[in-house]
Amino acid sequence: MSKRVLSKLLTLSALVIALLAGISASFAAESTVPPPPQTYPIDVPNPATDLWRAVRQRGAGPPLNASTQVHNVDAAQMINASGEEFRQYRRKDFMRVAGWVIVGVPIAILLFYLVRGKVRIPGGRSGRRIRRFPDYDRTIHWFTAVLFIFLAATGLTLLFGRFVVLPVFGPEAFSVIASACKEGHNLFGPLFPVAVLLLLVRWVARNIPAGRDFVWLLKGGGIIGNAHVSAGFFNAGEKIWFWSVVVLGIVASVSGLILVFPVFGQGRDVMQLALIVHGIATVLFIVGSFGHIYIGTIGSEGSFDGMRTGYVDEAWAKVHHDVWYAEVTGDREAVAAAPDAGHPTQRPPLQTSSENA
Amino acid sequence: MANMKFYCDAERCIECNACVTACKNENEVPWGVNRRRVVTIKDGEPGERSLSVACMHCADAPCAAVCPVDCFYTTEDGVVLHDKEICIGCGYCFYACPFGAPQFPKAGAFASRGKMDKCTFCAGGPKDPGSADEHRMYGSNRLAEGKLPLCAEMCSTKALLAGDANVISDIYRKRVINRGASVLDWGVNYDKASLRAPQAPKGKVSGEG
Repeated sequence: MSKRVLSKLLTLSALVIALLAGISASFAAESTVPPPPQTYPIDVPNPATDLWRAVRQRGAGPPLNASTQVHNVDAAQMINASGEEFRQYRRKDFMRVAGWVIVGVPIAILLFYLVRGKVRIPGGRSGRRIRRFPDYDRTIHWFTAVLFIFLAATGLTLLFGRFVVLPVFGPEAFSVIASACKEGHNLFGPLFPVAVLLLLVRWVARNIPAGRDFVWLLKGGGIIGNAHVSAGFFNAGEKIWFWSVVVLGIVASVSGLILVFPVFGQGRDVMQLALIVHGIATVLFIVGSFGHIYIGTIGSEGSFDGMRTGYVDEAWAKVHHDVWYAEVTGDREAVAAAPDAGHPTQRPPLQTSSENA
Repeated sequence: MANMKFYCDAERCIECNACVTACKNENEVPWGVNRRRVVTIKDGEPGERSLSVACMHCADAPCAAVCPVDCFYTTEDGVVLHDKEICIGCGYCFYACPFGAPQFPKAGAFASRGKMDKCTFCAGGPKDPGSADEHRMYGSNRLAEGKLPLCAEMCSTKALLAGDANVISDIYRKRVINRGASVLDWGVNYDKASLRAPQAPKGKVSGEG
């Protein structure tokens, strides 16, 4: 019996050794020859898992062949996984950042105003006025401005009203407010691209960047310190704002039109994207407008006259738009040599200010 | 209180659309709106399956999160409802919902959105239960009458289940024990039928299934 056991053990150990040798040999062989691509002769999926994965539309693969008898937008799509991403983006990212930006920028501007104060006209107003914006220019500017403020106010109410206005007025009253905001936003929103187009056509020639604009930018527009900055009819800051209005206006208008007319068969993914783009573009637009309004009103003495009356003070023009001033008055040397003198024969009709004296 | 859920058994749904029709009739939903729809995947191909989809009454509902006027609320039964007197028809819930449940009747100029309409789990709305106003705005309130949603109640193959989550999952668990998660396991998947031996269905357990 012990012999048989011994022989069995010997056979077994021999087998084991042979097996190990074989395995090591095969390993050695495999190390030189690249392994063949792994193939599964019989695909054994879990059908239920595959079904739900397909329904959830996760992972790469051919688009799900789905159909339904209900003829609505995206009705054949069983689960739209991007909906949750849209929700997370809107609540966690966009509203938080937009909220901080909308509140933070005015505070920053206020602090700047407290530190820097109003940019005064050196030597004060001259009392003589130059025509800057004709009636048509002011009309399209204020048309855009009023439309913009209305759309911004209604849009911000829809964005933040649930957390800011609703707790004050209660759900029923806020529903009326929000409904009016939505209808007004949708009704007047489609006019905005018209306003932007009018501005673009009217002012595009004056907003082509010039060499002096880069110098203007390098000197920070003269808002800090008292460095002299040279500028034409529009300075570099105004040109940047002009092109921002054009680009942001077009982006906001196109995304808004996608959202306001849900009748062209656009799906949820397109509308989610449109709402995200609309939000980012308009928040940037609103923040930019804060800066524009600041510079145009309390930030700089004499700036508001141009858009209010159409005329600006000569002294203001000389400081802020010296090249334009020279063009209007027709004599560059005259400006440099005798800042308070002009050439009445060459300049367009001036008006002696009575209301601003 | 119950935690109400729908579950649609893809192995049983035969795409008869009776749930869609029953819902439309019972709730008299607005024109152009279908609170429930049956989606068929791989129609006419091996492995074709149909599922009946409506509002799934999420515990953490994306529609409620993105609503700018906060018109959604969850009842004690775990049913997500909304107040049409608060809704402004902005469409954000439609963008956020994974199931395409919120829908909008066309109202006013340029086919702008009216008040949102969606599945109520046959639980009506914020109006007085059983009132005419409630029925006009939200449809039936079968839950208040002690009944379950009509779509599931009249499903001929009992593919669509509606009720308390514990009861629903219990029924479905028994089905899985009896037949597996999918009948494709049985070898009736014609695509793969030649590759595996057909198996006899496992022994039936008495009771539901």
